Amino acid sequence: MTALEGAIDCDVHCAPASFEDLAPYLSDFWLDYISDAAIRLTGNALQYPPGAPTTASEAARSSEGVPTPSTYEALRDAVLERARPRFAILNCMTMYESHRNSHYAAALARAVNDWLAATMLDRDDRLRASIVVSGIDVQGAVAEIERLAHDRRFVQILLAIRGDLAAGHPHYRPLYEAAASAELPVVLHAWGRTGYAPTPTGLTTTYLADYASNRQIVQAHLVSLVCEGLFESVPTLRIVFAECGFAWLPALLWRFDKDWKSLWREAPWVKERPSDYVKRHMRATTAPAQLPDDPRQVRELVDMIGAEWLVYSSDYPHDHGDQTDILLSALSTEERVAVLTGNAESLYGLAA
Amino acid sequence: MADAATLEPDVVESDRAVALVDCDIHPLMTPEMIAERLSPKWRRYYEQFGFRMPTLQHLYPRARGGGLRLDAWPDKPGLIPGSDPELMRRQHLDEYGIDFCVLIPFPVVDCYELPEFAADLCRASNDWIWEEWIESDARILSGFAVPHEYPDLALREFELRAQDPRWCQLNMPSHPQEPLGSRKYWPLYQAAADRGIPVGFHASGYVNHRGAGSPGYYLEEHVLLSAAVANQVQSLVLEGVFEAIPNLKVVMVEAGVAWATSLAWSLDAAWSQLRDSAPYLRRRPSEYMHDHVWFTSQPVEEPDDPEHFLQVLEHGNLLDRVMFATDYPHWDFDSPKMALPRVFSLEQRANIMAGNACRLYGLPGRVEAMQ
Repeated sequence: MTALEGAIDCDVHCAPASFEDLAPYLSDFWLDYISDAAIRLTGNALQYPPGAPTTASEAARSSEGVPTPSTYEALRDAVLERARPRFAILNCMTMYESHRNSHYAAALARAVNDWLAATMLDRDDRLRASIVVSGIDVQGAVAEIERLAHDRRFVQILLAIRGDLAAGHPHYRPLYEAAASAELPVVLHAWGRTGYAPTPTGLTTTYLADYASNRQIVQAHLVSLVCEGLFESVPTLRIVFAECGFAWLPALLWRFDKDWKSLWREAPWVKERPSDYVKRHMRATTAPAQLPDDPRQVRELVDMIGAEWLVYSSDYPHDHGDQTDILLSALSTEERVAVLTGNAESLYGLAA
Repeated sequence: MADAATLEPDVVESDRAVALVDCDIHPLMTPEMIAERLSPKWRRYYEQFGFRMPTLQHLYPRARGGGLRLDAWPDKPGLIPGSDPELMRRQHLDEYGIDFCVLIPFPVVDCYELPEFAADLCRASNDWIWEEWIESDARILSGFAVPHEYPDLALREFELRAQDPRWCQLNMPSHPQEPLGSRKYWPLYQAAADRGIPVGFHASGYVNHRGAGSPGYYLEEHVLLSAAVANQVQSLVLEGVFEAIPNLKVVMVEAGVAWATSLAWSLDAAWSQLRDSAPYLRRRPSEYMHDHVWFTSQPVEEPDDPEHFLQVLEHGNLLDRVMFATDYPHWDFDSPKMALPRVFSLEQRANIMAGNACRLYGLPGRVEAMQ
């Protein structure tokens, strides 16, 4: 793992172990609501089944009972002292599971952010985090961004890809405007609503199909963000796709650019070729990489995508196999530096 | 696409009997034609209530000319693009020297209706195709419609049609009521496999944009058809359809092709970690994809560097699985003269333009044997 020492790890997971961890940050009203309804944190178990090989590596399992770190010490021992990243960006997915109540979602988001700051960020200069917000209550999300924007340890806004609306929908515009004026990227992370079928024909019968569907869903968000003209109306907006792969990008853009040439009149606010916006405003994390075995093919794929589009992530504690090694060994020295640190430095304003 | 260098068609080996096969042409019945051919009971029903299945206009307004080529309107009252076989022959088969074509008739490829109405609609559509199209021209082959949501009724229509070699494919929408891997549809797949014809899944149906919300523009919807069809290839592979029906061949029609490469990579990568989650598979997902899945080319992806298109087909082992298609008479027609980039060897090009389709559909032998 020493090869990755000093990297900026753009997707590391932690989560409160139970509502007890969040209790100090929730009002009595919401604590009663949670206990009356017997809501509990499942660890996003449908999305990360506890026994599934992708949910945690063997190493992560043996370090503590629950694979996703819920204490600073667990996170430090598993990530900071082992891989020794320069920075690790924490994405806490706890609240993206099943809520529909916009008031509850806003309260939970605020509690998770306060928990992140007190439990993790206050303990170590190497830690950064994404601001958790609710996509249902956009006004609440804007308020939460404004509440935390002064704290530069929060380096982006976190949304999940499985939600009610395509990411470019006008519903979200105030959120993007708030993110852009706080100079924070928005990360769209794999998974999200558990009750939401991931495919056009409904639920999947296998976890593998559910897991693999994230790469299809994220493409819809990319296309939506461009078609709604967000990068014209919010020109400093930056978007990151996390844990959704990236090998799908070239074929999607070839099709998107071709269709735009014929159909641009339908969305005249899209003034440049779609691929220009995507290359300038968007980035993707490296895990899961979903690459072929043949190094020559990996190299040709990287040439199609451009190494500047990728930011390194371990996705700890999830285990997608040895795909990151395959990617890194296909890169030139310069590209490795860019993917491991340089691209994230520019994206998040993290000084060298 | 249309730079000067591509305007001349490539020279294709002249000793090839079949040089150009178009695997996606759409006849379109007018409402009057449908009504005329329905049985009296269902004609009355249709005239009162129409279809429950959403037509293209209901799914998303097509941005240009209703989705139809402006020059494909017949000069005859009451006809619409795709409803006049004579115009199609003159404007398309003759114009481009197409040796054979495979029809995907509309609108009855999607069929979500009462069971007997669905069956009568499919019969009516298939009768129309047989009498007006297939019998009129030896170059025309077609897929046939079946009431796919009712496999017992569908098998009756299947038996009626699959006898004749000019019906070369069982047509289904890419997005019927259940995922394509659902066991509900296996009897249809089994019947097609036993008869040695492929199942053609045309990119259509009710594409319910779950997980990411609905698109706001046709531009979005159209771009995302490839991801929607990727989900269905994923379903066919992971549900073990190709393990259960090892002689099944399927064609993904009108979804492009370049996306299939990264789909295969992602499924292989996921399977290497999660193989216990898909207990019906005994091989890597990409192996099932290559052995069982064909793709029509249109709308063909167009990278800035055409070499990238060749690379992606090589990466995905797709050079023997892509079959040229135009999508006549729709707006995003790919021209046989211009659509393919000039990066292929003569042999590769010949396979894409005709050879792969000849092997899949048994051409020209399928037709000659009949004559």
